[in-house]
Amino acid sequence: MDFTLTSDQEAAFSAIDKLAAQFDSRPTDFHGFALEGQELDRQLEDGQYFDIAAIPEYGPVTAALAVERLARSPYTVESALSMLVRPQLAGEWPRPLALVENGRPGRFVASAKTLLILEGGRIGAAKPPAEALESVESLFAYPMGRLKQAVEVTWFSESEAAILRIWLRTALAAEASGLLHAAIASTVEHLSVRKQFGRPLGTFQALRHRLAECAVLAGGVRWLALKAAATADPGDAALAALHAQESATRVVYDVHQMLAAMGMTLEHPLHLWTYRLKALLSELGGRGGQASAVARHCFGTALDQ
Amino acid sequence: MDFDWDTEQQGFRSTVRAFLAAHLPADWEELAHGPGSEAQSAFSKKFCAELAKAGLLVPHWPQRWGGRDADPWTAFILAEEMWAAGEPRGGQYMNVNWIGPTLMRFGSEEQQQRYIPAMAHGETIWCQGFSEPEAGSDLASLRTRAEKHGDSYRINGQKIWTSYAGHADTCFLLARTSPGRNGISIFLLPMTTPGITVRQIPSVIGEGDIHEVFFDEVEAPASAMLGGEGQGWEVVRTALSLERVGIPRFALAARMLSRSVARLQGDGRFGHGAIEQAARARAACEAARLYSYNIVDQRCHGIPTGPEASAARFATVMAERLVGEFVVEHMPDALAGGDPLLLAHHQRAIVAGIASGAAEIQLNLIATDLLRLPREPR
Ligand SMILES: Cc1cc2nc3c(=O)[nH]c(=O)nc-3n(C[C@H](O)[C@H](O)[C@H](O)COP(=O)(O)OP(=O)(O)OC[C@H]3O[C@@H](n4cnc5c(N)ncnc54)[C@H](O)[C@@H]3O)c2cc1C
Repeated sequence: MDFTLTSDQEAAFSAIDKLAAQFDSRPTDFHGFALEGQELDRQLEDGQYFDIAAIPEYGPVTAALAVERLARSPYTVESALSMLVRPQLAGEWPRPLALVENGRPGRFVASAKTLLILEGGRIGAAKPPAEALESVESLFAYPMGRLKQAVEVTWFSESEAAILRIWLRTALAAEASGLLHAAIASTVEHLSVRKQFGRPLGTFQALRHRLAECAVLAGGVRWLALKAAATADPGDAALAALHAQESATRVVYDVHQMLAAMGMTLEHPLHLWTYRLKALLSELGGRGGQASAVARHCFGTALDQ
Repeated sequence: MDFDWDTEQQGFRSTVRAFLAAHLPADWEELAHGPGSEAQSAFSKKFCAELAKAGLLVPHWPQRWGGRDADPWTAFILAEEMWAAGEPRGGQYMNVNWIGPTLMRFGSEEQQQRYIPAMAHGETIWCQGFSEPEAGSDLASLRTRAEKHGDSYRINGQKIWTSYAGHADTCFLLARTSPGRNGISIFLLPMTTPGITVRQIPSVIGEGDIHEVFFDEVEAPASAMLGGEGQGWEVVRTALSLERVGIPRFALAARMLSRSVARLQGDGRFGHGAIEQAARARAACEAARLYSYNIVDQRCHGIPTGPEASAARFATVMAERLVGEFVVEHMPDALAGGDPLLLAHHQRAIVAGIASGAAEIQLNLIATDLLRLPREPR
């Protein structure tokens, strides 16, 4: 057991951190829902960062750290599936990737070069022609899109699908961890500055304890996501995704209560992280889906899947 | 104890439902989104005028002002049905619930004649100018100034989060005439008064909902003041006590929960995780309903409402939270163009614990007034 990063991992992470830091502040005139980081994406491509999981010195743990870090930015890029799931796909599958679950609108679907199709218990992949895709307006702070027509799908075997499920869950947890940390940081800032009744809101214990609990939850999600990336164990991945969705449900409610009316505006960035978290809540079957996977992989009880 | 409605109450509910069925347009669910939007504001004026003609706008008001002195249950059944339908009255629900009754109690004859009939006819929209950038939960610290100059007051300052301000005719404004709690006064101010500027705040809760309202050297005649100078805090406390039960949010929440469950059942997706969450959310809606009914019942029996009203409001926040979370987790398409009424509900549910007073303040009231815990030191 050793939780320190190797010097290679450290170096890769700090390079990504530095790159991402250029995109840590939001344009003040942005009042939309999905703030896309095309320039961030381009720089990550240029640095070949989307492929780091496959490089033995770095591996999936560094990729998970990168996803986690990038998710803290107000700008969103499709990094989680590219960095953590794509390396597991046999064959040539270009990025960006997006997930289409039971035909529903999904994150980054409109611009995806590869779609992962989840239907019932099956997982497949497709290279959709652009005309098969369309964007969908939504409150979720990701660019959302939908698959308009049937596309040719390469279905994976049971055992390949099982591996993909591990990485889909890990990717979800790593992304959620970054979003949770950013939402909490933004709330800490607000509670430190805003005063009511002559004192900073952060001095009210009713808020302090709740926000501290949120921070503990987010930290737990981070450790679980990193462990799942390191072990590639289906139980670890299921626990990480479950803790991510469970924590997100609670943290989103709490931080919005604490920002109160300010958190409802598009002028404050909080919604960029909370409405991304909301988009993650339903994925991979939601908490019920993760709980079934935990039942199967941690308790040996077979439920739906 | 009787948990059933009597025949008169059942009849009234059916009348309201029949009215809604006859008067809501086919595309109403699309319109319901964005409670202060241009389209909804225009619709609400037409709709409220029709409600008024049918005797369903202000049945609980005194006859003198166009009502029929109906009991609090009538008013609440009406509010439940309207909210469950997506609140086609728009901002006019405020007129009906508290602005009208407050003017009846504290208004001058001139103010009453000028404003109440228009409210009773469903022709006018008001906004509530209370919150300021620095005065949210701590409302008493508000700073907007009203200085006396001869026969009039000159008002300078800023309000924020003002719902419906974009289309409102009149503002129920709190301003400071001197320092301290006893230095707050109320002005009834036409929104066309020179010096008032409104800016809409882009938000996640739909078009036209929240605004900033700026007051720059606004002249208000002394006759625009409601009650006496410095009486504002007392008037507002009374006004808000008229609304202690709050909006019957549980009614739309329960309806949206049932709609979501029916869809999931239809798609064969009502599995074990969803079932447990839906059951919890349903129980929370029913708890909130009974808490609220208890307050209405007390009012019918002339029992002054105590801290249970805060409990009812918080129970409602819990119900909205669970239903909102259920929809986001199991019907995410609702937020991506899938169902406009589920979206409209989402946008209302997320402010259940914020608008008209943050939930944490209700919890403080419950701790102090219901549990009788010692107060937090200031
Ligand atoms: C959709 C919407 C519509 C609205 N419409 C109107 C309107 O028409 N007119 C109007 O005047 N206002 C309106 N408001 C404003 C509303 O009344 C305020 O948002 C509310 O009073 C809370 O104030 P705030 O947002 O400034 O939060 P703050 O007061 O800054 O509170 C932030 C957080 O701190 C907590 N907090 C504050 N004090 C304490 C304490 N003592 N102990 C523990 N926790 C505390 C709060 O509970 C909250 O969680 C609206 C708000 C919304 C969201």
